[in-house]
Amino acid sequence: MAAELGVEEGRLVGVKITGDFFMHPEAAIIDLEKALCDTSVEDLDYVVNRFFQDNDVTLFGVEAEDFVKVVRLALEP
Amino acid sequence: MKETWRLIDMRIEDAPTQMAIDEAIAMARLKENIPNTVRLYRWNPSAVSIGYFQSIEKEVNLPACEKYGVDVIRRITGGGAVYHDYNGEITYSLVAPEADPKMPDDILESYELICGAIVNGLAGLGVDAEFKPVNDIVAGGKKISGNAQTRRHGVILQHGTILVDSDIRRMFQVLRVSDAKISDKLIQAVEDRVTNLRRYLDRQVDFDEARSALIKGFEDVFDVALEPGELTGAETRLVKQLHEKYSSREWVFQR
Repeated sequence: MAAELGVEEGRLVGVKITGDFFMHPEAAIIDLEKALCDTSVEDLDYVVNRFFQDNDVTLFGVEAEDFVKVVRLALEP
Repeated sequence: MKETWRLIDMRIEDAPTQMAIDEAIAMARLKENIPNTVRLYRWNPSAVSIGYFQSIEKEVNLPACEKYGVDVIRRITGGGAVYHDYNGEITYSLVAPEADPKMPDDILESYELICGAIVNGLAGLGVDAEFKPVNDIVAGGKKISGNAQTRRHGVILQHGTILVDSDIRRMFQVLRVSDAKISDKLIQAVEDRVTNLRRYLDRQVDFDEARSALIKGFEDVFDVALEPGELTGAETRLVKQLHEKYSSREWVFQR
């Protein structure tokens, strides 16, 4: 699992998350990536957790926390 | 009288056609008076399919695919990258409504049930296989089948591979599985985790034999009769549309 993104003025841009996981419905990934775009780095945990709380998404092979981890990893220099 | 499902038997087509057919059947399922469908198929040319969420650059050695004439396609289902060897693999798909009384609501349970048909079929060949959650089938502790499911439009589509005989060397060439150079050690490492019908049974297994066994597996587990049939006119039209999508750079290279 990996993330690609940019940061502009402390906000995430162009977030793309890839991996061999399962997400149902599949289209939810687009919504998650949209939710992360223009999110400030500080709000990362909150936005991801909120997303999975608010949406009926089933995951296999990953957990909500992994989406936070993989973005954090991508943020490291 | 036993319920009848449609069997679309051993079509050999290219990657975009196969993925288009699977999705077309799923899209049409609730719109027409068609039964549930089981398909068995082979990919010609051999192809790599990646999961919906995978990065194509990270998973596929595109120059090698070009060099060896291997197609590259993105599935609508999640999961990992698979090498579909024309000479070494059978793919199945099953399409049924979510509301079908035979289909569990729970995705994991439905994986187990549908994989159970494969397990049953393999038993008929003398293979002692078992379902390994979430989506694998193992024999002697080694993976012999990988599966992937999507649910959309109120319909379940699950497809998966059954490894009959694998060209592991070619798989290493077309998939980015390791930065290490392809070596006997690397191949051995894969052979410790993955098997196929030929290796497990220690004999050649022809496609027809495997095919018959799998058909029986579906019939037994779902208590249905599989009747050979063809795509409907509407499904065929959908296949044409979807073939464009699956062949497009926009779809395949979306991430």
